[in-house]
Amino acid sequence: MPIVQIEEVIKIYEGKVTHRALDRLSFEVEDGEFLAVMGPSGSGKTTLLNLISGIDRPTSGHIRVAGTDPSTLKPDEAARFRRQELGFIFQDFNLLRMLTVEENIVLPLTLEGMPIKEMDARMRAVAKRLGLADILHKRPDEISGGQEQRTAIARALVHRPSLVLADEPTGNLDSHAAREVLDLMATINRENGTTVVMVTHDPIAASYCDRVLFIKDGAYYNEIHRDDRRRTFFQRILNMLSLLGGNVDDLSSVRLP
Amino acid sequence: MTFRQFAYRNVVRNRRVYAAFFLASVFSVMVFFLYSMLMFHPGLGERFITGITVVGMTAADIILYVFTLFFLFYSMRAFMQARAGEFALLLQIGMERRQLGRLLFLEMLLLGVASIGSGIAAGFAFSKYFFMIVRELLDLPELPLYVSWQPFALTAGAFLSLFLLIGFLSSWIVRMRDINEYRKGIGASADPFGYSAAKAAAGLLLLIGAYAAALFAGRVNVLYLAVLLPPAATLGTYYFFSHTVLWLIDLMRKRKSIYWRHARLVSFAETAVKIKDNANMFFIVAIVSTVAFLSVGTLASLATYTAQYRALNPLGLVYLSQPDNPDEQAHITSLEKELKQRGLAYEEVRLTVVREQSSYSGQPLNVLRESEVNRLARVLGREGIRLKPGEGAFLPYSPDAASKLKGAEIDTVLEGSGVEVAVRGTMKEMLFPAYALGTNSIVLSETDFIKTASAHADRMYTFYAFDVPEWEETVGIGLRLSGLMSQASLDERPEDLSFYFENPGSDYAVIRSTFHLLLLTGLLVAAVFLLAAGSFIYFKLYTMLDRDRRQAAVLKRLGFTDREFVKIVNRQLVPQFFLPWGLAMLHSTFAFLSLQAIWKDLADLSIVKEMALVLVAFTIIQLLYFYLIRWRYLAHIRGPV
Repeated sequence: MPIVQIEEVIKIYEGKVTHRALDRLSFEVEDGEFLAVMGPSGSGKTTLLNLISGIDRPTSGHIRVAGTDPSTLKPDEAARFRRQELGFIFQDFNLLRMLTVEENIVLPLTLEGMPIKEMDARMRAVAKRLGLADILHKRPDEISGGQEQRTAIARALVHRPSLVLADEPTGNLDSHAAREVLDLMATINRENGTTVVMVTHDPIAASYCDRVLFIKDGAYYNEIHRDDRRRTFFQRILNMLSLLGGNVDDLSSVRLP
Repeated sequence: MTFRQFAYRNVVRNRRVYAAFFLASVFSVMVFFLYSMLMFHPGLGERFITGITVVGMTAADIILYVFTLFFLFYSMRAFMQARAGEFALLLQIGMERRQLGRLLFLEMLLLGVASIGSGIAAGFAFSKYFFMIVRELLDLPELPLYVSWQPFALTAGAFLSLFLLIGFLSSWIVRMRDINEYRKGIGASADPFGYSAAKAAAGLLLLIGAYAAALFAGRVNVLYLAVLLPPAATLGTYYFFSHTVLWLIDLMRKRKSIYWRHARLVSFAETAVKIKDNANMFFIVAIVSTVAFLSVGTLASLATYTAQYRALNPLGLVYLSQPDNPDEQAHITSLEKELKQRGLAYEEVRLTVVREQSSYSGQPLNVLRESEVNRLARVLGREGIRLKPGEGAFLPYSPDAASKLKGAEIDTVLEGSGVEVAVRGTMKEMLFPAYALGTNSIVLSETDFIKTASAHADRMYTFYAFDVPEWEETVGIGLRLSGLMSQASLDERPEDLSFYFENPGSDYAVIRSTFHLLLLTGLLVAAVFLLAAGSFIYFKLYTMLDRDRRQAAVLKRLGFTDREFVKIVNRQLVPQFFLPWGLAMLHSTFAFLSLQAIWKDLADLSIVKEMALVLVAFTIIQLLYFYLIRWRYLAHIRGPV
C-alpha cells in the first residue's frame, strides 16, 4: 500500500513569466520506504514537497498522502494534517532560536494537547535515540550544526508521523556531521519503518536511500534502486547524474549569515 | 556613480526598508509643527495669562524636542541592527569604515530633509482641522488659519539640528564596530532568559513598596514620600522590565503543565525575547507615560475649579475708589449701565472704608462700618455680625482665614483717631477677597466707626461691591477700567490711579482658558509620546520582520493553524503595547491616590472623575493603535518570504 501517490501532477506558476514547475509527474512512495528525489536546480523538487505537505496546491492531477488529498483540505485542516501526519527536516534546521532543544522537540506535541507525562516520555525517548539527552536544556545557539540537525530530526519524529519530508538535510553540514545525520535517518527508517522522502543535491546523501528518483524540468526522468553494496549504488547515481546533465552538483549559493 | 549618488539610490531604491523610519520621523515633525503653529498663533495672545502659557508651552516644546531626539536615536539604532547584514557586505567588498560612516550620515541627512519637508507639508495641511478642534476645546470665538514664517523656521531649524546630531552619532557608532560584529548580527540577544533573580525580586519589592507607601500618604509624610517614592518607583520600573518580567515568564516556563500547552511554548518565549530586546524602551515609555498622565490629570483637575474660584470670589464686580477720585461717579454709572445692557440682575452695596493705623501691629488697617458690612452680608446671603461699642471683628480674606482668626483676641488703639478697640474673633464667612482691600480689615460698631471717620475725612475710601448672581456672564464688563489699570501697571505708575477695579468673571474666563490651553498642550505631548511609543514598537517589529517571517514559515510547516498563529502574534504584541501602559496607569493611579490626600485640603476638589476620563480616552486610542499595528504586522508576516 503506497503512502504517497502522485498522479499526473502539473504545477504552473502564473506571473510575469509563466513557469511550469511540475509537468505531469507521477510516482508512488511505499510505506516504510526511504526515497531520494534528485534533480538539477529549478527542477521542481521544493515545489513537490510543498504540494505533498499541502502548503501549495497542484494546478491539475491528484495527490494522496496517507489516505488524504492535502489539496482538498481547508487551511486549518491542512495545518492539523501536517502536524499529525508529517515531519519536516530543513536545510537550515529552522529550530526556534529562543526555545531550548527540549522545547523545540516537544513543540509539535504541545499543539495536540497531549498529557505532559506522555510528551515528556516521548521527547526523552527520541532524544536518547538521537544522542541529545545531554544537551536538552541548551539553546540552538549553544550547540553544533550536527546537533542542531539532530534536534530537528527529533522534532520531525516525536509525533510519530506517517511521512518525514527532508529538504537538503545535509546542505549546511560538514561531511562528518552529514554522515552522522544520514546514518541516523537510515537507521530510523529501517528500525521504525518511518517513510522518508528526501530532496537532495548530494549523491552521497542519496546513496543512503532505498530508491533514487530523478526529475528534470519538473518531469519524471528515471529512477534507480539500491543494490547490496552502497559503493556501486553511489557510482550508479553519479552515472545517472552525468546523463541528466545540468548543474546537479552545484553548491547551493554561498550565503552570508 | 558618485558616493553621494550611491547614498541617494540606497535610500530611494530601498524604500520599504526606510519607510518605517521615515514615517516615524514625518509624524514627529508634523506634531511639532502643528504645535508651533498654535504657539505662534496671533489670535491666542491676549486671551491667556501670558507668563504661565509661555512657560508651559516652552517646557512642552523642550520635552517634545528631547523626546524626539531620544526616539530618533533609538529608532536609528534599531535600524542599524536590522541592516547589519548589509553593512557586513559593504565592508566585505572593501568599503572603509570611515566611508560607511559617511554613507550613513548622508542617508540620515537625506531622510531628515525629506521628513522635515513632508512633515511640515502634512502639518500645514492638517492645521486648519487642528485649529478647529482647538477652537472647540478652548471655547474661542475664532481661530483662523494664518501664515507666518516663525513656525516653519522653528520646526525646520529644530529638526535639522536633530537630524544632523543623529547623523553624526550614527556615523560615529557605525565606525566603532568591526566587520565580524556585523556578520554575527548586532543585538541578536543570546539568552532571552538572562536575568538576575535578585534584581527581579528587587524590582517587584520596590514597586509594591512604593505603591503601599503611596496608599498611606498623609499630610505629614507626603513631603518625604514625594522625595523618596519617584526614584524608588523609577528604579523598580527599570528592574521590572529588564528582570522581573523575564523572571515571571521563566517561572511559568518551569511549570510544564502551563508552558507545554498549545501555542504557549512559542508565544511565551517570543514575548520574553521581545521584552528583553526592548526593555530599555519599555522602561522609558512607562515613565514618560506616567509623567504625561500625571500632568494631564492635574491640568484637567485645575481646569474645573469653578466652585473653588467662586468661594474665593463671592462678588460679581469690585470697585474701590480713593478719596480724591474725580471719576468715581462716572465709572460707577458706566458699570451700572453695562450691567443693565447685558440684562444682568445685580445688587450694589456701597461701603465706606477708613484707612487707619493699628497700634498693635504698626500696620495699616482698614476699618469698615457694621451696618454696611451687614448689608453686604445680607445681599450675599451670609451671616451678619452684631457688635457692642468698643468691640471689633476681623473681616476674613479667605475661607481659611475665617477659621484661623476665629479665636483671635487683640486689643488695639487706632492711632489716627485714638479709638480703643477690642477685636474679638471674626465674621463667620468671608465677604470679599484680599486683592481690593488687603488682608488686614476690621469691622467696627456704628459709634466707634463714626468717631474714627470724623477724624479722617481725607482718608475715606468708597468700596462698591456688586453682587451678580450670574457672575460668569460679566466677561468684558468694565473693559475700559481694566484697560486703564493695565496701562498704569505697564507704565509702572500704579499710584496715579485713583481707583481699583476687579471683574472676577473676566479673570475667571482668562484663568480657565489658560488652563485649558495648558491642558491641550499636555494632551498633545502625551499623544506624541503615545504615538511615538506605538510607532517604535511597529518599527522594531518591522526591523525584525525577516526573522519573524522565516519563523512564521517554519511554524506553518510544523502545522500551526492560522488561528494559533494569530494567537502567538497577539500574545507577543499585547505585552509590548499594554505592559508599559498598564504600569504607567498603575503608577499614576497610586500617585493620584497619594496626591488626593493633600489635594483635598489644598483645593476642595475631587480629581477622580477627570483622571478617569483622561485614562479612558488614552486607553481607547491605545487600543485602536494596537489593532492597526497588529493588522499591518499580520499582513506583512503572512506575505511571501
